[in-house]
Amino acid sequence: MIDNELAAFLEEGIGIQIGTRNASLEPNGARVVAVRVEDNGTHIVAFVPERAIKVVAPDLEANGQAALVFARPPDERSCQVKGVFERMDAAAGADERFVRDQWRRWLERLTTIGLPLSTLERWDVWPCVAVRLRVTALFNQTPGPNAGAVL
Amino acid sequence: MKLGLEAMASCFQGLIPAALFTCSKDGTPNAAFLSHVDYVDSTHVALSFQFFNKSKRNIAENPQALVRLIDPDTSQGWRLKLRYVRSETEGPVFERMALRIEAIASYSGLKGIFKLLAADIYEVLAVEAAEDEAAIEVTTQRRSACVDPVFTMQALQDLSTRIHRADSLERLLDSILEGLEASFGFEHSMILVSTIEEGTYVTIASRGYPEMGVGAEARLGEGIIGMVAEARKPIRISGLIRQMLYALAVQKRAHEQGIVASQRIPLPGLAQPDSQLGIPLLVRGELVGVLCIESTHPYRFHEEDKTTIELLGSYLAIAIQNMQLQERSTADVAVEGGGSASRNPPYVAIDSEPPAQKPAAKAGKAERELAYYAGEECILVDGEYLIRSMPARILWRLLRRRTAEGRAEFTNRELRLDKSLNLPEWKDNLETRLLLLRRRLDQKCPDIRIVPRGRGRFALELGCDVALVERP
Repeated sequence: MIDNELAAFLEEGIGIQIGTRNASLEPNGARVVAVRVEDNGTHIVAFVPERAIKVVAPDLEANGQAALVFARPPDERSCQVKGVFERMDAAAGADERFVRDQWRRWLERLTTIGLPLSTLERWDVWPCVAVRLRVTALFNQTPGPNAGAVL
Repeated sequence: MKLGLEAMASCFQGLIPAALFTCSKDGTPNAAFLSHVDYVDSTHVALSFQFFNKSKRNIAENPQALVRLIDPDTSQGWRLKLRYVRSETEGPVFERMALRIEAIASYSGLKGIFKLLAADIYEVLAVEAAEDEAAIEVTTQRRSACVDPVFTMQALQDLSTRIHRADSLERLLDSILEGLEASFGFEHSMILVSTIEEGTYVTIASRGYPEMGVGAEARLGEGIIGMVAEARKPIRISGLIRQMLYALAVQKRAHEQGIVASQRIPLPGLAQPDSQLGIPLLVRGELVGVLCIESTHPYRFHEEDKTTIELLGSYLAIAIQNMQLQERSTADVAVEGGGSASRNPPYVAIDSEPPAQKPAAKAGKAERELAYYAGEECILVDGEYLIRSMPARILWRLLRRRTAEGRAEFTNRELRLDKSLNLPEWKDNLETRLLLLRRRLDQKCPDIRIVPRGRGRFALELGCDVALVERP
């Protein structure tokens, strides 16, 4: 589903959010600090800080519906990955370097739109929970007339 | 931890992209980044609707939404639980958002393509702090640079005092810009006035830029100045760099879709301003000019200052218009009462067309070629653009008279009576145009000077020999 070019983009170190919903169709969302594309692009693992996962974990466990949105300043390339929840576990210590490196690259990107790194230094990065999703659909979300098209 | 929307002003500046979460009727969540979330009142926000997309369709099916915002001062993350109320396609909220978007679109050549379709109004049901996105300690200096009110009564009074001391249009314009810096801390500002060409505005005074920029033009509907002139309302843009990048992303996509964007226009002053404020200078519905203030701070100008900004614009407009009228009337009276400074009677219209002459070159004096392009109505000095339109016609007329007759002094009155200049009979703004011409010469060709010689008269001084050339 996710080809190599898109996988490289998703793992580049960009802005990522995860969206969920509850039984009342009330939307919910949290910050993701890194992702890893797995199994030839059929699955994706989202690393969510422990204090953030509390917000969306009940939704994921209850109905499994999830959406990940990605955006990269300064060119504003953006896409959305729809998925179905498979499982979540405390992220392994071996993943810490991978997660922190991806987050750092994102922070460095933020400087291109004028945000000093120091403003985000207190945000949680680690420990994380690894949320594994099966990818069901991909959409282009780069702003413009073609936003929303299936990838 | 809970907080009212009023205290979250910095979150609504569009500096950090917000995230919008919605859900379709069949239970599929959707996540998207947003260019801007606007504050409406203590219980409502507005989201810009620019493109039909999944979020919009979801809201039509299920009005619940969540927005995640970041405070750019403290980095605190916030969760706003929302319920869609209505879409507005007119009214103050829509106008404010639409003008800002159109100004940005025009910089990107996307006016009419990148536009606001509606301002979607949402009720805020709850505001929660994101635990994983904690605030940093904010220094007093940092906080005060961002949220301190700038339009204080004291600052307004200081500006007023400066304005009252000005005794000429030139001093008045400079005093306004000096006062904006001294009293309000606005270091980069410019005033544009209307030209004889409808829909064109020209910079008459500027402050805080490496080059004076006098003579730089803006057209109706282009950029923040053109949009202010068109809408006759103030426009405030924060986080301009990010929003420009967003617009350029749209432009790229539009180009890929075969939609041709018009030519991009340059930003007015600073190479990379991060916030801009445009103020219409209106007197009884007449647009006297536009004041544009820029800053490298991401959000230097605040929405809550809007009323003061409009008031300030009206006050400055009245001061400028009064001075224009005063200069005109005193110029005419001075000439009538004081006789002519020239060898020609001031009341005699200049209606003959003396041939252009090349003065004899004098040893040690540089020679400059001034070329008048009649079709374009512009003058080039040694091949470089100097000025166009009415000020160009005036300069050309003066140069021809000077070289043909040896006259150095002229009166405003004789220019007014000169039919070849085709000045408007009513509100010709001649003094403003002469000031523009004088400043433009100072900036681009200091060898040629227009020097005031009292009310209503001036001298054209040449520090070089001039060769006058007319081209079609």
